[in-house]
Amino acid sequence: MRIRAALGGIFASAAILGIGWQFGSAAAATFTKQDTAPSTNTTSTGTSTATASPSPSASVSASASVSASASPSASPSASSTGSVSGTFTGATESTQFGNVQVEIVVTAGKITDVKALRLTDQGGRSVQISNYAAPILRSEVLKSQSAKVASVSGATYTTDGYLSSVQSALDKAGL
Amino acid sequence: MIVTLDTMGTVASLDVPLHEVRESDIDAVKAVFDRLEDRFSLYREDSELSQVARGELSLTRASEELRAVYAAAIEWRTATAGSFTPNRPDGVVDLDGIVKAIAIREAGEVLVDRGFTHWCLNVGGDVLVWGSPWTIGVVDPADRGALLCAVELRDSRVALATSGTTERGEHVWRTGTGDSFVQVSVCADDILIADVLATAILSGGRDFLDVATAQWDVDVLTVATSGELAMTPGMNLADSGRV
Repeated sequence: MRIRAALGGIFASAAILGIGWQFGSAAAATFTKQDTAPSTNTTSTGTSTATASPSPSASVSASASVSASASPSASPSASSTGSVSGTFTGATESTQFGNVQVEIVVTAGKITDVKALRLTDQGGRSVQISNYAAPILRSEVLKSQSAKVASVSGATYTTDGYLSSVQSALDKAGL
Repeated sequence: MIVTLDTMGTVASLDVPLHEVRESDIDAVKAVFDRLEDRFSLYREDSELSQVARGELSLTRASEELRAVYAAAIEWRTATAGSFTPNRPDGVVDLDGIVKAIAIREAGEVLVDRGFTHWCLNVGGDVLVWGSPWTIGVVDPADRGALLCAVELRDSRVALATSGTTERGEHVWRTGTGDSFVQVSVCADDILIADVLATAILSGGRDFLDVATAQWDVDVLTVATSGELAMTPGMNLADSGRV
């Protein structure tokens, strides 16, 4: 499910740019530009409520196995997707926004990192395009939890809500 | 030194680790909040905005400050294509969405004017820092007593605002049709931009998220209803190795 979610996510940000990428030699995909899905739903867990029509194309395409046009930079042991490990680099695609390339890191069949290697070097619109919010693995985000924080940002709390907040604890500790 | 103040229906925390903070400094900061609360709070019957809400005072005859803030809110409504709006469904003009950020910004100016070069001001979960870097936690919307992550505010990213559906109920009116979020955090160089866009993305959903990250120089972290997280590449997650 993680993989599907991540794939759907990659596709969500990549589809607009028309990125070609692949997932090892066992399961690979080259995506062509899809003008019809600018607001792709990045949730592919099936738990989201009904949304506008663009969403299905992402999850369906992302979970399909199609042939690749580029080769991975690492040789995976591709007997089954569960044992695939390595770093895979997508082909560089020329788009109207500049050159685009994506790299994924796979550990034991799970995508553990996604990097945009080269979004674009030009300014203006190109830079803006590369600032899309892309799905990120929860574990990646959670890693930062252990950092020592000075303050806490959260949805506006009431005076009562403050009393039970992490911020309140921090303030007390600092006094 | 950490100072806390009750204001605007919430609590402000001012962290000034390197300086001695005098009573007069705290009073100057408090004066900013008090002035704006006196004028704009809808929780106070005698505030100017409450008079406007009751129809006793027309906007055109309101104070210059109220008209200026209202005009700014309308500009944001236009800029966000309605994802942010000061007009409640019941017709009342509610400026809470930008007044708190304006207060934080002004309080920050007071601190800088008074020579404070390293501080962190948190008002009800919206954070403005000076003298980077500062490591700031983001609340986990699924468990308010826990952190989802920690981000580093540095360089031009001095402001961090978070909007969510967890406190104060659904005080944001959804306008978008795309994926819906339960929490949105926005980093910017200005607390007003961060605060307004956090509200607007929460309201406008996935559709407006892409518009916002394309149009403004901001970084965004979203938590979807499904629990899925999305982030712009420039968001600086704190290094967990640092203590």
